[in-house]
Parts: sequence; C-alpha cells; structure tokens
Amino acid sequence: MEARHALSFQSSSARQLSNHGAPGGLSSSLPVLSNPLLADYQEASMERTLASNPIDVRPLLPSNSGVVGPIFSSSAGFSSDLQYSTSASHGKHSTKTPFTSQLSNPGATMPLYNPCESRVFKSTSSSCYTTERNNDSWITDSVRSYLDCPVTSPGLNNQIDDKNGVCVVPSEDFNKTSDWQEWAEHLITDDNALPPNWVDLLVDDTTVAGPEPQIPYQMSTTPVNCPVQQPQVHQQQSQVQQQQQVNLQLPASSEETCTAVTPSSSAGGSSTSTKARMRWTPELHEAFVEAVNKLGGSERATPKGVLKQMKVEGLTIYHVKSHLQKYRTARYKPDSVEGSSERKLMPIEELSSLDLKTGIEITEALRMQMEVQKRLHEQLEIQRNLQLRIEEQGKQLQMMFEKQQKSGLDMAKALSSDMDKREAIQDSLAKSEEATLLSQHQLPADVPENAIPAAENISSHVREKQKQPEVEISKDLAATVTDKSTSQPVKRLKVNE
Amino acid sequence: MKFGKRLKQHIQETFPDWRDKFLSYKNLKQIIPSLSDGSNECGKSEEEFVCLLNCEIEKFNAFFMEQEEDFIIRNKELQQRLGKMIDKWGPMGDQESDIDYKDEMARIRKDVVDFHGEMVLLMNYSNINYTGLAKILKKYDKRTGGLLRLPFIQMILEQPFFITDPISKLIKECESSIDAMFPVAASKKKRKREEEEEAIVVTGGLVFRNTVAALQTMQELRKGSSTYGHFSLPPLKLPDSDFFSSFQLHSPIAIV
Repeated sequence: MEARHALSFQSSSARQLSNHGAPGGLSSSLPVLSNPLLADYQEASMERTLASNPIDVRPLLPSNSGVVGPIFSSSAGFSSDLQYSTSASHGKHSTKTPFTSQLSNPGATMPLYNPCESRVFKSTSSSCYTTERNNDSWITDSVRSYLDCPVTSPGLNNQIDDKNGVCVVPSEDFNKTSDWQEWAEHLITDDNALPPNWVDLLVDDTTVAGPEPQIPYQMSTTPVNCPVQQPQVHQQQSQVQQQQQVNLQLPASSEETCTAVTPSSSAGGSSTSTKARMRWTPELHEAFVEAVNKLGGSERATPKGVLKQMKVEGLTIYHVKSHLQKYRTARYKPDSVEGSSERKLMPIEELSSLDLKTGIEITEALRMQMEVQKRLHEQLEIQRNLQLRIEEQGKQLQMMFEKQQKSGLDMAKALSSDMDKREAIQDSLAKSEEATLLSQHQLPADVPENAIPAAENISSHVREKQKQPEVEISKDLAATVTDKSTSQPVKRLKVNE
Repeated sequence: MKFGKRLKQHIQETFPDWRDKFLSYKNLKQIIPSLSDGSNECGKSEEEFVCLLNCEIEKFNAFFMEQEEDFIIRNKELQQRLGKMIDKWGPMGDQESDIDYKDEMARIRKDVVDFHGEMVLLMNYSNINYTGLAKILKKYDKRTGGLLRLPFIQMILEQPFFITDPISKLIKECESSIDAMFPVAASKKKRKREEEEEAIVVTGGLVFRNTVAALQTMQELRKGSSTYGHFSLPPLKLPDSDFFSSFQLHSPIAIV
C-alpha cells in the first residue's frame, strides 16, 4: 500500500533528521505541529516525554491520505486531522491557557513538543464539531470556546457564526495569517512539488475554501488570539523549509493536496478536494429542511439555492449537495433507507410473519424489541461513562505523579532514570487503578453510582498527598479504599506490594 | 483472542455494509510483536503504529458521522410521517378501525423501533471500536514499554466517533415518542415467554437480532479476563441475562 511505503520512507527520513532514540527530549529539527490539542497535552505531560522516540509528524500524513477525509475531504487527508482541534479542548481552555503561555519561549517549546503527541492529536479531526457536550447548541458553545482559546485557522475556520448552527471549524493554533500566506504562496508556486506534509495540512486549511472568495476574508480575520503559538509557528516554518527536500509525500496525497492548494483545481469542482466532512446536527438539518421547503421541495431545490438560503457560514456546497442527496433518497423511499439490508435478507420472512401473526402479537414483539434495545442503550451509556471515568482518573493520577516527580527529584536524575520512573509510575498507576476498580467491582449492583464516589474519593485523596510516589500512595489509596468498601481490596493491594 | 473472536463474530452478524468499518483488531494485534522496543531497531516504529491507529480512527469518524447524518434525516422523516398520521386521523386515531391507518401505523411503529435499534447499534459500534483500541494500546505499551496509551486514549475520547451524545439524545427522543405511539400495553405478562420469543424471532428482523447479539457480546467481553487490571471494566451484570442468551440468533430462517 502506498501509504505504507511512503510511511516507511518517511520514517527513515525521519530517523535521519531526528536524533532518534533520545529518550529525554525531542530533536529540535523535527517539525512539530502545534495544535491546541497538543497544547493541552503539553499541560498534561509538561516536562516529560511521552514517547521514548521523537516522532516525526510527517509519516502520519500519508497514511491518512486515503482514509482521512473526515473533515475536509478524502483528498485533504492528513490535513484534516491537523486542522481540527478538538473543541473539547476548547472547553477546557481556561485551565489550559496558563500552560500554553509557558510555551511562548521558542527554545523551550521544542523539547516539549512530543511528535508522538502531535501525531496523536492529528487524529482529532472533526472534533471541533463533536466535543461539545452541554445542552446548549453545541455549535455556539464551540464558537465561544474557540474564542476563548485561540484556535483559528485560515480556511473555513473563521466562519464561526454564533447564530448559525454550523461548526465547520477545524482550527489550528498556529495559523497566523502571515504564516499562512507565506506557506500558501510557497505551495502554490511549487505546484507539483511535494511539500512537506504538515505544511500541506496547513495549506489545506486555506485552500479548502478555495473557490469561494472567503479565503482572504478568513485569513484576514484570523484572530491573533494566541500569541503563544506564533513563535512555534515560525520555528516550524523554518523547519519545514529545511526538511522540504527530505520529506516525501505519497503521490496520491500530494496530488490531492496540490489540487487543494491551487484555487483553480479546487474551483474545478474536483470531487476529492474541499469535501470536508461535516457533522450534521438536528438543528442544522432543521435549517436545511426549511431552506429546501422555501425553495419548493427537495426535488426543485438546488444545492446552491439551499446554501444561499441557509446562510450558514462554513457550509460548503458539497456538504449541501451530499446532504440533499441523502435527503431525497430518504423522502422518496422512506423504508428503503431504514430497512434496506434487512428487507433484502428476509423478504419472505416479513411477508409470512405479517400474514400469520396478528397485530397485537406484532406490537408485543416490537415492544420486546424495544426492551432489548433500551437495555443495550442503557448498558452502553453506563459502560461509556465508566470508561470516561477510568481514563480521567488515570490521567489525574499520572499528572499527580509527574508533579511529584518534578518536585521531589533532580531533573538530571529524572532524565537518566526516566524509564524506571515510567515503569514505577505505571505500576503505581496500575495499583491505584486497580484499587479504584476493585472498589467499583465490589459493588456490582450499582456500579456507576458507587464507582463515582469511590473514584472521587481516591482522586481527591491522592491530590492531597504530597509524599513520594509509588508505594506510599498505593498504601494511601488502599486506606481510602478500605474506608469505602470491603477489606478485600486492601488485602489485594498488600499482596501486590 | 477472546475480544478478537467476539469482534469477528459481531462483524459477521452485523449489517453487511458495516462490516468493513470496524477496527482491524487482528491486524493491529499482529503488528505488535514486530514493534521496536528499544532493543530492536528494525521493527516498526511508534510513528508508523500511531499512523495506523489514526487511520482506523479516521475510518470510524467518517463512518460514524455519515451514519449520524442519515439518522438525523430519518428522524425528521419519521416525525413527519407521524405528524401526517396525526393530522389525518387526529391524535386519538387509535380508535379508528380504518385499515389504512392501522397499516400505516404498524409500519411507522416498526420503522421507528428499527430506527431506534440501528442508532443503538451505532453506539455499540462506537463502543466496541473504542474497546478494541484501548486493548491494542495496552498491548502496545506492554510490548514497547512506552507510554502511548494514556494520551492516545485521551485523544480518542474527544473523537467524533466516541462522542455519541447527539445520537444518545436522538435515541431518548425516539424512546419517548415510541412510548406515546404504542397502544396501551396489553396484558403482556400473561403471555408466555416462549410465544413472545417466537414472535420476536419472526418479526424482529436484522436490527433486533443485532441488538441482542450486541448485548450478549457485551456481556461476554466483560465477564472478566485474565488480564483484568487497572483500566478494565467490571463485569456486566444484566438482569434477564438468561433471557437474552436464550434467543436463537443463528438461524436466519424463522421458525414459526
């Protein structure tokens, strides 16, 4: 697979570039994509390196070329990932900003940028649409959060409109107007060159809205809210230029990104470019339906007309087109959409069942079906909440351990014994998590309700403690657990220790 | 391989067009041994692995959002159909013995229930893929001694495919409208369970089979594992679990 080949090539090139195997920090020659999400992670793992090896961002991109389109287009590939920061991160911005401000020193930022993290975050593609979880229109919330945290990128990003229900807002912290223009120009002149992937990512942002005159608007209105990120941007820019020769791109993706870059090609309506994936919401759909109805129904309405009517910024004609298509299919064959696979498989069954069974029995069957489905839904919700809590706790514990590590030890010692520490932290983490889970486990009947107080107790307890990590904390946790549940967990912990 | 087997089974039982949208658990798992763990420089690197994972995540996101969009459209359509029925026959149309009404209402009810089921299955899709990813990451960390798992999971938690709140909301709305839509419950408890089961097997259809299968899978997966540990979920305790497992899901042909 092309992706793989390019991947391996880039990995090798990455190795050439990076000081591979330096556990302590990242090679400063590695381009690091700053990313709001990345910034968040900086907070989480401030002075520790997550991965033992610096990871080059580049190899990420090609692998996504075919698959990645979620946000912008299948063509935009990897670009989409980088462009979209999770709006969840936006939600937490107030707490994160102190950390991001620490990154203002260019020299300091580099070591903090773990390419692994940046890679990790690259996949937070359409998160901007998705991460809002409160009851308000999540779009407006994400808009607000965008304003909180400077997450802007040229391209569609700045078309955040509070009134409209659209959040097609991928965002990159580091997209400063001038940088974008530079890079865009650079890429446009290098029409068929293979620019470094992550630059493409940036450029894709601008070019996604290529055909529309919005780009200049967007770029000019990029709020410079994140001065912190700018030094990083400059740094990356220089790195990009250095690595230009070395980086390769998948031919496919380069094509796609190249077409995305040049306005003419994207204006040509190539179906691959500018097809950002949009996360539709019921509210947005309502607006869509209204617009369609105003224009005379789904048959008569045209995508362009609907787009104009809806007046939702950030919505492209491609979004509307595909949505209209789905809408039409749904209307004219209401049953086929729902049960197409079903009906194909068991048409005979259905007919005979309807003949043989009375209406009441069918109703009862449906009722049973609802029971099962409700149950499954309930369990899924519970499971999901549990998973969230577990991860949240794990994160808190790890942060706590890191803080202790920083305060309690020499930095030099920490670096040299990094691996040991990690293992120890992992062990302690494991023990703590085990304690948490055991306390949850002890109460099978009401897992979620009891898990929550136990988990909260443990985390608060842990936060209060300022002793050395590992054994003491595990013991403290054990003590907490004992308070709240049976003695079994304590026994188990002691055995482990 | 328990999860792997279960996932495979689930994939086989699920809708045909969903089959290639699940996590390539087996493939990823097979890559793990070839990862470089510091000593072995020739193995795959973290970047590559992360790339693969990101590919998978993109796949989930794309599929999930597409399905979500479809559901939103269908939801509106169903509401409209229902609205038309009410307009035509009034809210107390249950009293009507009009055959058209009954047919259409029956069809709407079935469609709504199936719609509900499909949404729940999408949530299940999200969940099962998340579980698979978590497992893979755990294996990765174990193999390489790295610390990829925690931050990566944090990132996953913010992905569209994991954030199922909009779908959940739709499901709840669906549930409340179904409650309103169904005629007053007949003396359900008097009926024998077997009769009900039979009726369900006959009329349940693929959606229903899938939801039952999903529940069973969930139960199985959470039974407890050899590597039960820090980030594992406690076992699932479902009331009526015997009932669910008694469903005969393997024969596609209804036994009337």
